[in-house]
Amino acid sequence: MKLTGKVAFRDIETGIWVLEGDDGKTYQLAGGDRKIKKDGGRIEAEGEVVKGAMTIGMVGPVFEVKTYRFV
Amino acid sequence: MTQSSSLRVLVGLGVAAFAAACTGDRTAPAARAPEPASGPVESVKVATRPSGDIGDRVADAIVVDFKDGTTAEQIDAWETRWNVDLELNSVEGVDDGIALAVGVDDVEGALEQIRRDPNVESAEQLVEYSIPETEADEAEAIPLRGPAPEDSDGYQPNDPDWDKQWNLRQIHMPKAWQTSKGKGVVVAVLDTGIAYEDNDEFKQVPDLKGQKFAKGYDFVNDDDHANDDHGHGTHVAGTIAQATNNKEGVAGVAFEATLMPVKVLDHFGRGTSADIADAIRWAADNGANVINMSLGGGGYSQVMADAVAYARKKGVTVICAAGNTGQGRVEYPAAYPGAVAVAAVGPEGQKAPYSSWGKELDIAAPGGDKSKGEQRGILQNTINPQDPSKSVYAYYQGTSMATPHVAGVAALLIAAGAKTPDQVEKALFQGADQVGGKEWSDQYGHGILNAEKALKALKNPNPKEAEASAAPVAVAPASTPASDDTSDSASADEAADLAAAEAPSNWTPLFFAAGLLAVTLLTLRGRARPGYLNVALKPTFLIPALLVTVGLFFLPWIGGAHGSSVLATFRLPIPDWLEKIIFGRGKTANPLVYSALLPGLLALFGIKGKGFRPIVGGMAIGFAGVLAYSAFAGAPALSWLPFTFLAIPWLVINAALCLLIARGMLKKEAA
Repeated sequence: MKLTGKVAFRDIETGIWVLEGDDGKTYQLAGGDRKIKKDGGRIEAEGEVVKGAMTIGMVGPVFEVKTYRFV
Repeated sequence: MTQSSSLRVLVGLGVAAFAAACTGDRTAPAARAPEPASGPVESVKVATRPSGDIGDRVADAIVVDFKDGTTAEQIDAWETRWNVDLELNSVEGVDDGIALAVGVDDVEGALEQIRRDPNVESAEQLVEYSIPETEADEAEAIPLRGPAPEDSDGYQPNDPDWDKQWNLRQIHMPKAWQTSKGKGVVVAVLDTGIAYEDNDEFKQVPDLKGQKFAKGYDFVNDDDHANDDHGHGTHVAGTIAQATNNKEGVAGVAFEATLMPVKVLDHFGRGTSADIADAIRWAADNGANVINMSLGGGGYSQVMADAVAYARKKGVTVICAAGNTGQGRVEYPAAYPGAVAVAAVGPEGQKAPYSSWGKELDIAAPGGDKSKGEQRGILQNTINPQDPSKSVYAYYQGTSMATPHVAGVAALLIAAGAKTPDQVEKALFQGADQVGGKEWSDQYGHGILNAEKALKALKNPNPKEAEASAAPVAVAPASTPASDDTSDSASADEAADLAAAEAPSNWTPLFFAAGLLAVTLLTLRGRARPGYLNVALKPTFLIPALLVTVGLFFLPWIGGAHGSSVLATFRLPIPDWLEKIIFGRGKTANPLVYSALLPGLLALFGIKGKGFRPIVGGMAIGFAGVLAYSAFAGAPALSWLPFTFLAIPWLVINAALCLLIARGMLKKEAA
């Protein structure tokens, strides 16, 4: 699936990177490379929501990024 | 905090409260007793509701959280674009970027538009809280630093950073420690592991030195060493049982408890429901008394739900984090029946803005709120996330941090004598500090954790409830004492069912039936009266009577009842099968099932077929036994009956009707 949205760092738990999707949902980011961690950066990403993934973040579904670009 | 800010705090997203808190901080020396109010506080603007109402959405107001550093000029520009009148929420508004708009005509429309803006962190309808004065006084007694006056005479550990642990004073640990320190109770921490041993590159953190650890397991790497390669699990474990009074670091809630390190989350803090479900069962099978799960997500999983039910059935108290979405949905596993769902509050006892909430919520505990300062988080010893061999003391915030406070207090309760998860839960909930005078709310559950009061509630439970739970009960639906607490989630019912299924069969109704059979036979005269043993031992009579009064009591002996709620149902008396199959589970029994209706219907057949008569007679006597016993035990709450005092007459009358039917069936035809 393709998602666009804003990358954000949330100081929750040990620190969580999320994608605030334009679909109104918040996804916990996974995958990609370390450069994706740009607080406030808007990205367009291709990837999948990982079913059954449980996390310490508990901020929303885990979105595993395969490819992305800043827009 | 100053009084005026505590009395009526207005919160959007819960965040605005911290502006007030901060204002208070600035005027307040670090450690001090509460003092009189000092003037109005900026953030208290729209508190118009009567106190006692908490968490009400304000119809025409929205709160917008801009990215930090957004200027007033920028906000002015957006005002015109969105056609709303925005005002910074407080003098601190510039720092935290929180603005309010009141008098908004189309709240939903405006929110939709505002949320699309990248400069907006979040926007939502304003939620207003007001705390009654009595509660406010209590909240005030929790200063950020330094002991609260009422807790200065309890157990004061000598850990150097004890004064930074506002969280442990908030839940009244000094007094609680005088009663229990959790000795011998095993708390499994299902997380990223614990820095509990020196093993290769992993080192034990100094403030866990000397603590007790049970044998754990690493489900991620499939080995026996549940070492922490992330930092989350060690922090959580520290809240439960950090080495305390050891002149090092900080204190933990149940520092004489035994930690069981169970690694289910990888070095990114992520795991699968399959591993976690496995780990829950493993922990339950390996001696855990409490399971702490500061994790969540992934949606509903039957496998996980079954695992939680299994642990609960084995007497393990399962405590889970409600989630960090800040939205009105409790995450799994917290939302499963049988799990205690924990929300997070900040130092002033306000729900933390990130904390999830909802109908499955059970209790709130300190999880920190760092939006107004790092030291408002929860401080524990953990590993440096960048180097697992290095120790750090870190302030974290999250419902993950709130959860181990509850797990720790659960351990204190078990060490103090609580035998079952039901008893632990009841003490936790009864002892919780109610918020806004409410017995339950979807924001705080039963209230804010209070270790001291929970231990008191365990020793002196509400006398009425104690009586009800001590009463012998024949029928499962009545085994949960009738309570007016409508907030109870399905979890309590389910757990009660499971507990009932696991308990040995109750034979008392059969003895009642045997006695009633004797009475019935005595009313028959001469040749019409059959011999007592002739009737009682006739298989066609005895088997139905047994099934009705005791159920398939032999199932556990052939290994049938384990792990299946369907089979477990058949271990109950037949009226309870009907109750469950027809009406599902519930706290109240259906009066039609607990009546002479079924024996009466069967008697219609009995009149025709002679061989059928002992069977109907046995069932009727059995029903009479169950109904009479239920009436005797004062147990069932019958649904539909307008007044509960009618329940016992109903049971007595129907028991008598059953006996009449039985009498007709057993009477020997004069030959």
